[in-house]
Amino acid sequence: MKKIKRILIANRGEIAVRIMKTARKMGIKTIAIKTAVEPSAMYLSYADIVYDDTEDESEIPVFLNIDRIIEIAKKTDADAIHPGYGFLAENAYFADKCLDNGIIFIGPSPDSIYKIGNKTIARKIALANKIPMAMGSQDNIANEEEAVKIAEKIGYPVIIKAASGGGGRGMRIVRNPEDMEKLFIIASREAEKAFNDPSVFIEKYIENPKHIEFQIPGDKKGNIIHLGERECSIQRKHQKLLEEAPSCALDEKLREEMGMIAVKLASAAGYYSAGTVEFLLDSDKNFYFMEMNTRIQVEHPVTEEITGIDLIEQQIRIAAGEELRIKQSDVKINGWAIECRINAEDIQAGFAPDPGKIEKLSLPDEDYIRVDTGVTEGSVIVPSYDSMIAKLIVKGHDRRDALKKCKLALDKVWIKGVKTTLPFFRMLIRHPKFIDGSFTTSFIDELNQYYYNSEYEEMIAAWLATKLFIEENLSEDSIKLDFSESREINPWLLNKRLSQF
Amino acid sequence: MTTGKPKINKLYAISSQNSKYVFSLPLKNIIKIGKRKYEIKLKHDEKFGTYILWKNRKYPVEVVRSRQNKYEILFNDISYTFTIETPFGYKRLKVLSKQKGKKEKEYIKAPMPGKIVDVLVREGSQVLTGEPVAVLEAMKMQNEIQSPVSGTVIKVSARPNTNVVKDDILVEIKVEA
Repeated sequence: MKKIKRILIANRGEIAVRIMKTARKMGIKTIAIKTAVEPSAMYLSYADIVYDDTEDESEIPVFLNIDRIIEIAKKTDADAIHPGYGFLAENAYFADKCLDNGIIFIGPSPDSIYKIGNKTIARKIALANKIPMAMGSQDNIANEEEAVKIAEKIGYPVIIKAASGGGGRGMRIVRNPEDMEKLFIIASREAEKAFNDPSVFIEKYIENPKHIEFQIPGDKKGNIIHLGERECSIQRKHQKLLEEAPSCALDEKLREEMGMIAVKLASAAGYYSAGTVEFLLDSDKNFYFMEMNTRIQVEHPVTEEITGIDLIEQQIRIAAGEELRIKQSDVKINGWAIECRINAEDIQAGFAPDPGKIEKLSLPDEDYIRVDTGVTEGSVIVPSYDSMIAKLIVKGHDRRDALKKCKLALDKVWIKGVKTTLPFFRMLIRHPKFIDGSFTTSFIDELNQYYYNSEYEEMIAAWLATKLFIEENLSEDSIKLDFSESREINPWLLNKRLSQF
Repeated sequence: MTTGKPKINKLYAISSQNSKYVFSLPLKNIIKIGKRKYEIKLKHDEKFGTYILWKNRKYPVEVVRSRQNKYEILFNDISYTFTIETPFGYKRLKVLSKQKGKKEKEYIKAPMPGKIVDVLVREGSQVLTGEPVAVLEAMKMQNEIQSPVSGTVIKVSARPNTNVVKDDILVEIKVEA
């Protein structure tokens, strides 16, 4: 067993901060990489050592540059690399490269990343182990003609998925044969761009399911357990917005059944480290294996909150060769946790990213609230990375209590400078379908309004617009106001258009 | 105020969804709801920036855009656009809206900054409402840009593998009569 003393964080943002917090607790030194895109990012201040890569002239971002990351790890004497999520987290070649260079990769083996990460192979493993799955193509689909043929056999609607995919990229639902050709090309092209692999396969599309996933930790000796489920049905274009644990759709019996199947699949793939087995659950409580993610996930905090287990710590211990100390019977689910992903997005413009500088930021500090963030006041949400500002995680005794606390917590968040997903969550926690738990993955598509504004809010905004107009046009006074960067003209610099009146 | 012209005694704030709010002048720091009056305060400090104090709660406010008499306001994280009109302007607007005909040309614009990965139409192509005209990649997602109208493509400004900013015109369409 090799002790880990120094970890290079091959990531940025909140997950870099998250990993460094646990490493510090464990007495492990961390190295962060400073890039030209974000030279004053918050995560840098959490590291023991900052490697300056701002002079990097390579065309690919450093977090995707395998050779560069290995080189930095060697230069900084790192004995392990944590990839976080995204970037190189599920790249088998990168994991292999780390091992070749005598560096511990904090994650599963390159072999299981490859097998599980490739959905076509994962499906074969699942099939061999009698894991319930939606009907689909045995192999990757070569072309549009084959896609049409197979879809006819399965029956529409079907879903095209990228073999190496994740996060909704390279994924398209096809309801009619006439759309197949167009959508097949789009999905395949998107897959190639995102994962360097254009191969796609087809599956029967399960209508209106819930997205339920199980958290797995496993060690190198083959001990694998599950830490219960997460409910991630609140998604837009397959991007999760809110997650909770546990799920109100599962009872103890179903939880045990699905959990055991998740463990069985992970065992079959020789899996170790933290991983997630994703299922679709239909309205008759039939469940289907969808895919397994071989990384720590964005939504891991909700599981940590209800089990009391630090997943990053488990990843580090397992990577160092330690045995899992927790047994399945030790795992107790305690309370209810909800995570809201507060992103810089304009929900009124179809959740379009709204990058920019965070002018004001105030995040709540209460014992029932956990905030995982990689930004601070003055930070910039850059267009080249994801739009996450913070994850707001609340914990209650039960779901009702968690919802109540979530409502309170959302009103305590204060962000200025960028538009955020906050009004979406304010709507969500008041929506009857969300409250009663009957929501499915199509919830957002079925909404008429994506945000909540209490009565009279529009009237107050109208009052303010009127006040501004008066200040600009009818009086000599001016009031101090915040203006977004995107403003076209500063009203205070305008000539007073008194002559108009 | 200049003399000799009629004094303005009220202003109309018209939202983009055509809701109308009328405020009498001089503007009071009071909003009337039914018979009850509530005080409204516009404040600014270092910690919160500009905010509105209403019924003992702070709400963040920002001005996103202001152009002539049009204001886009961000209030409690939601954006509202208002056109402010004098009584005279309001009357004229009402007359104009009655005369307003159908749109002849539709400009399809980039809904967000990103990169055009594919252009799916050519000049002269016929498009139907909802038909994709281009594929835009933004924040690692590929999005189909669909035509909001049916008609004929008269100009294609979007080029594959070029970057666009928000509101760049991608395609011009002559709307079907």
